[in-house]
Amino acid sequence: MMASPAQEFPVSAPALAPERPVTWPTRQRVQLSNGLQIVLAEAHAIPKFHGELFFRAGEALVSDRSVGLAEMTAAVLRTGTANRTSRQIEEDLRRLGANLGTSAGQDTSAISFTGLSEFAEPLLGLVSELARRATFPEPEFERERRQKLEEVKLERTSPGFLAGERLRKVLFGSHPYARVSPSEEQVAAYIRGDLDQVYRKIYTPENALLVLVGDFEPQAMLAITEKTFGNWTGKKPEPKATPQLPELNGRRVYLVHNPGSVQTQLLVGCHAITRKHPDWIRLGLANSIYGGAFNSRLVMNIREAKGYTYSPRSGVNPLRQHGYFSISAAVRNDVVAASLTEIVYELDRLRSLPVPASELADAQNYLSGVFSMGLATQEGLLSQFSTVELNGLPQDYLETYRDKVRALTSADLLATARKYLDSANVQIVVVGDRAQIQEQAALFGPLELYDAHGSRLQ
Amino acid sequence: MTSPQIPIHKHTLKNGLRVVIAPDSAAPVVTVGVYYKIGFRLEPQGRSGFAHLFEHMMFQGSENAPKMQHIKLINSSGGVLNGSTMYDVTNYYEAVPSNALERVLWLEADRMRALRVDEENLINQRDVVKEEVRVNVLNQPYGGFPWLDMPPVAFRNWANAHNFYGDFADLDAASLADVQKFFHTYYVPNNAVLLLLGDLNPQEGMALAEKYFGTINPGAAPAFADPTEPPQSEERQGYVQEKFGTLPAMAIGYVLPPRRTAEWHSMVLLDQALHGGRAGRVYRELVLEKQIAVEADGGIDDVFGYNGPAQTTTRILHKPEYSAEQTLAAFDAVIREVQEKGISQEELDHLKVKWRSDYYSTLEGGRGGYMPRYGLMHLLACFSLFDNQPELVNSILEGFLAVPGDQIQAVAQKYLRPQNRAIVFRTPVKQDAKEAA
Repeated sequence: MMASPAQEFPVSAPALAPERPVTWPTRQRVQLSNGLQIVLAEAHAIPKFHGELFFRAGEALVSDRSVGLAEMTAAVLRTGTANRTSRQIEEDLRRLGANLGTSAGQDTSAISFTGLSEFAEPLLGLVSELARRATFPEPEFERERRQKLEEVKLERTSPGFLAGERLRKVLFGSHPYARVSPSEEQVAAYIRGDLDQVYRKIYTPENALLVLVGDFEPQAMLAITEKTFGNWTGKKPEPKATPQLPELNGRRVYLVHNPGSVQTQLLVGCHAITRKHPDWIRLGLANSIYGGAFNSRLVMNIREAKGYTYSPRSGVNPLRQHGYFSISAAVRNDVVAASLTEIVYELDRLRSLPVPASELADAQNYLSGVFSMGLATQEGLLSQFSTVELNGLPQDYLETYRDKVRALTSADLLATARKYLDSANVQIVVVGDRAQIQEQAALFGPLELYDAHGSRLQ
Repeated sequence: MTSPQIPIHKHTLKNGLRVVIAPDSAAPVVTVGVYYKIGFRLEPQGRSGFAHLFEHMMFQGSENAPKMQHIKLINSSGGVLNGSTMYDVTNYYEAVPSNALERVLWLEADRMRALRVDEENLINQRDVVKEEVRVNVLNQPYGGFPWLDMPPVAFRNWANAHNFYGDFADLDAASLADVQKFFHTYYVPNNAVLLLLGDLNPQEGMALAEKYFGTINPGAAPAFADPTEPPQSEERQGYVQEKFGTLPAMAIGYVLPPRRTAEWHSMVLLDQALHGGRAGRVYRELVLEKQIAVEADGGIDDVFGYNGPAQTTTRILHKPEYSAEQTLAAFDAVIREVQEKGISQEELDHLKVKWRSDYYSTLEGGRGGYMPRYGLMHLLACFSLFDNQPELVNSILEGFLAVPGDQIQAVAQKYLRPQNRAIVFRTPVKQDAKEAA
């Protein structure tokens, strides 16, 4: 290599320039007389728009009947309306340059879409038809059901799925949040009438939120939405009482035996909080220091220093009624115990020692900077506005978030870690080949052994 | 209809580094990318997986930013970063609040100037990469299918046919000397492009590029191996065992016409007719109508991002009660129909609307919800490195919108032939997961 004159370039990183202001676009919030809530915001980079029609209920509301029905309803929803067949729907979407997805989670069902601004009215017309006049054709239902049967068999071969399913069972017990996916028997027993019922219960204007972000003139777009959705009627569903969560005292280990695994999926978790909880931002900051960023302690430890894993991370997972914290890593079979030791160590460190001032400042910068990335795309804006509305957060949540992050102290973090992150009470799921990992896993607590179908093994 | 026009400022530094700036102040964020014109296709023989392993090494320390500093400096500026290795390019990118622009440029210049890594870093990242391969390929149902299964079946030139993630023996054989040699051969400013997008003043951006990158010495122009394939005279088939999954699978790949030709434009729209989501013919026939398949998707992967032999690939997971022969026959019927009848003018018009709409989304969109302007960055970079014409982002759409109706049928007949395709069958070892548990 040829030498280059060292004095011609700086030898330490340039300081940050003054921050530029972060301005969230103005939102218009409107409620139609039928209860439909609408949020509109402009973003003009491309002649398109993004939209999502949310319904404030999902699997948890209808789980008494079976598991996965809200998702099945969403899947069959797009296969027929009073005016269009499945094939017409798909071809119409293409004609409008649009993408559309239907989905359901524990707490929401949604129709999301994006399309060319020039075709906003026909696209919203199609969305409205799906929300109001879906017919759930019997042959389409049967096709989806048979496809779902294959999918539920298949997902049991994925280590990530098996780990997530077991952790949710452990953390949520008899609460609907414990059930993430149906069994083959449950899918086999679905009937078309179930979907009709879910549809009538959940897909109503009083239960709905429509968020639209993109290249449009708000008054014109509002006029289209009033014309399209104004005469829709329907009440919101009665809320359902849900069971208490299990009290989890003491750390336990759950090994899901996955024969032939050449790696072990670790998933460690505990109860946490919802988005609406006053501790949300401080737990978010603790998480970003623990394992929520590339620069976090866990990643630096078990990836960059030790090379145990490619993809360690932690996160706070908010559901509407409860939340949970989780730590995941897929590690080499021979370092299962070593990895768990570090996972526990980093938890203990966070609740034993104050985070140094410089590390705190770095994490505050990270969280507040990444938060602004959502401003750059229509999709990002839609996601942020939806989060505020669906979780009933204060209307100035986006505007004040960064200040709230910056106001936190090391003492706040220590208190937060002590309150939520207790290594003596975390639940540890390991998915892998028992012959290679059982002894290592059992070092961390009483061990229960399961097969991929959830049956206890000895 | 007026397509959005991206404002582009470009300049080539004395050392050959191309700089492309696309300002847009909608959000106070800048995206910085450095693309090097080397991917896994042309990595050294006997060193499969090396281009990707090397990408990891670029995060392990440079002259003034030792290990962990790079990641720490970006995250603590409020930004995110990553890198990825593709067929013909490797990229490194950051999105940061715009007040951190200068810091990012300093970091990228530092590692373009001098990589400073040791044996311990190499061993560490070799271990990390092996876990990456396990989590994405070896321990996943249908891992690597078909992107790793297809090349050795479809191609004869080592460049196109080898294991891009790397055989573990090759990864183990990689030495620190290999790392430095690769760095000095390919990671020279004259084999790279720097991209600055978002909230910045273009003149200031250009001055900063000059300030931080201008003193890096150029290298010899890298010599690239020839990726040309020998002519193919018959259909190629291969078989791979599926260790975890329960459904039989197959992938069918057809080699594409050379990029940016009239045939290529037609082929891309034909590909949309076949694979364009649920309205696409493959999904419609195999999943919705005949109900043979549980999944049937695919298409051209990263249509603007490759620069050598490439395929459009259909990926099918089918129900066990249908044989591979029946499934393939249903797929062939889809191909035959478009070869015999072409597509209607109406369908072509609709495909063009959808393609235009999707292209706009590429220009605006991020990656994985966290990397603003990734799509535009990628296009500007590839058009710079392959064509020396980043402005193509503003005109390439025209070629697709001008495709005449009869050309779809013509390319279907010319390119969707058995002599131009390869098939990989991925067959489950277990018939039912329950029995094996």
